[in-house]
Amino acid sequence: MALSLQKGGNLSLSKTDPSLTKILVGLGWDPRATDGTEFDLDASAFLLNAAGKVRGEADFIFYNQLRSVEGAVEHTGDNRTGEGDGDDEVIKVDLSLVPADIDRIAFTVTIHDAEARKQNFGQVSNSFIRVVNEISGAEIVRYDLAEDASTETAMIFAELYRHNGEWKFRAVGQGYAGGLKALANGYGMNF
Amino acid sequence: MIALVPGGNAPVTSGQVYVKIDYTPVPNADIDVSGFALGAAGKVRGDGDMCFYGQTRVLDSAIQMTESSAGLAVFVLDLSRLESGIDKVALTATIHENKASFDRVSRLSVSVGDDIVADIPTTGMQETALILGEIYRRAEGWKFRCVAQGFAGGLEPLAEHFGVEVAASAASTPPPPPPPQGKPSVNLSKVTLDKSRSSISLAKSTADFGEIKVNLNWHRGTSGGFFSRNRAIDLDVGCLFELKNGSKGVVQALGNAFGDLAYEPYIQLMGDDRTGSIDGGEWLHINGHKWSEIRRVLVYAFIYEGAPDWKQTDGVITIHMPDQPDIEVRLNEEGGRYGMCAIAMLENDNGAVKITRLVDFHKGHSYMDKAYGWGMRWSAGSK
Repeated sequence: MALSLQKGGNLSLSKTDPSLTKILVGLGWDPRATDGTEFDLDASAFLLNAAGKVRGEADFIFYNQLRSVEGAVEHTGDNRTGEGDGDDEVIKVDLSLVPADIDRIAFTVTIHDAEARKQNFGQVSNSFIRVVNEISGAEIVRYDLAEDASTETAMIFAELYRHNGEWKFRAVGQGYAGGLKALANGYGMNF
Repeated sequence: MIALVPGGNAPVTSGQVYVKIDYTPVPNADIDVSGFALGAAGKVRGDGDMCFYGQTRVLDSAIQMTESSAGLAVFVLDLSRLESGIDKVALTATIHENKASFDRVSRLSVSVGDDIVADIPTTGMQETALILGEIYRRAEGWKFRCVAQGFAGGLEPLAEHFGVEVAASAASTPPPPPPPQGKPSVNLSKVTLDKSRSSISLAKSTADFGEIKVNLNWHRGTSGGFFSRNRAIDLDVGCLFELKNGSKGVVQALGNAFGDLAYEPYIQLMGDDRTGSIDGGEWLHINGHKWSEIRRVLVYAFIYEGAPDWKQTDGVITIHMPDQPDIEVRLNEEGGRYGMCAIAMLENDNGAVKITRLVDFHKGHSYMDKAYGWGMRWSAGSK
């Protein structure tokens, strides 16, 4: 039984699941059944230093830059409609490959062009984001976006961070105004 | 009071709840409000899961429509009595015969109990059928979500969305190619029945047929343009039907025998629809869910006014079925002086729909009846 996400809650991954070295962050939603513009949800990851900023453009992993330089974070590709069962977009993280000067990795989900399309998570059917242990397949945490993030269009879902030599996980669940661009700028990108 | 925007949700706290939909009526465009009780897959289980003006109490009165007037519809939902198979109740509004889109409805508001209100922003909406909101189960309780999404195509795609009138496979998988008598690669975008090919049999591909729609369109004469109703030629479409239970009758405008889709004879004359340039003419709908109840249907046209010059009418009957090629029969034969044309026969051939081109002409209803062995009694009538 996966943990239900409480805003701000954190857990030690090393203690919860000592075997955890490879993580999948899965984003899923149902394709639009009604008329109108498709729902296009995007999962992204930011590799952040101790100051909470990216070191450079290479630390922003998203649909146009699928892999971090050292291979610690890999986005398996953009899905623009939510077609298909299960996770529609997946970001893989290999904790053992994360560079030493990266202190945390933030995961975000945004609706592409949400403002123009007048869309929010609550209008999308069965949208969720979750963290899975890649090796065991066990789901660690899941967030039901349609329910909990209903009127948001961008959110910082969760972050992995170093703490006293181990990796911890924090469920952030925080909405963010302005979409992916504003999010990226908040992490020190310069769009 | 919680005000919801589309996408927003809020808990519904009481077990018995009033849901009020009020809106600004649009002149000459009726708005129908309905409730659909949906199972886990978001589909209705049957006709008994739909609550609307023609069926105001469903599910042992756990869902009731207590008011349905221009500008206001009220439902009373007894959520505690809804059986566990019902996951949510979707509330919808549709504009009858797509005569307007919701852009024209300046105010459209849903309130749930005394606590929740959702004003739906209709500006710019091209939809003619809308899912206003849904009351759904969530962690032992119920919640309401404002949806405000829908379909520009109106009631039909909305009904399909909820699993009504359309084969069950349509939602999740692409429709299977039509079964064209062992030749799947032939071009089936339209099938024309003529003298060289006078019949086609459409096998049941999945659970049942959707709505079978028969359209009669014709050239109305030279003055006033194609779509102006010229008094010179006025064709009416109608049909003789025979059900499996032996019941026989006629569906046509004459004598106000418009039929009914949900009940016997499961055939309805939809009347004239002159709102769209390509959807003109007369429409006869057959409820494909009830095809198993129907033995045969003889589609005919008759000239109510004007000289019976059939060739000049350039009449064409098109039979539309979901996931099937359109079937077309042209009235391009010399009809002499007779005012009635038997156009096509739809027969239940072991569950399949067998369509046969007829295009033969008769002096009137009773003569045609006799020619096809229908066996009804006829007397004169007027529209």
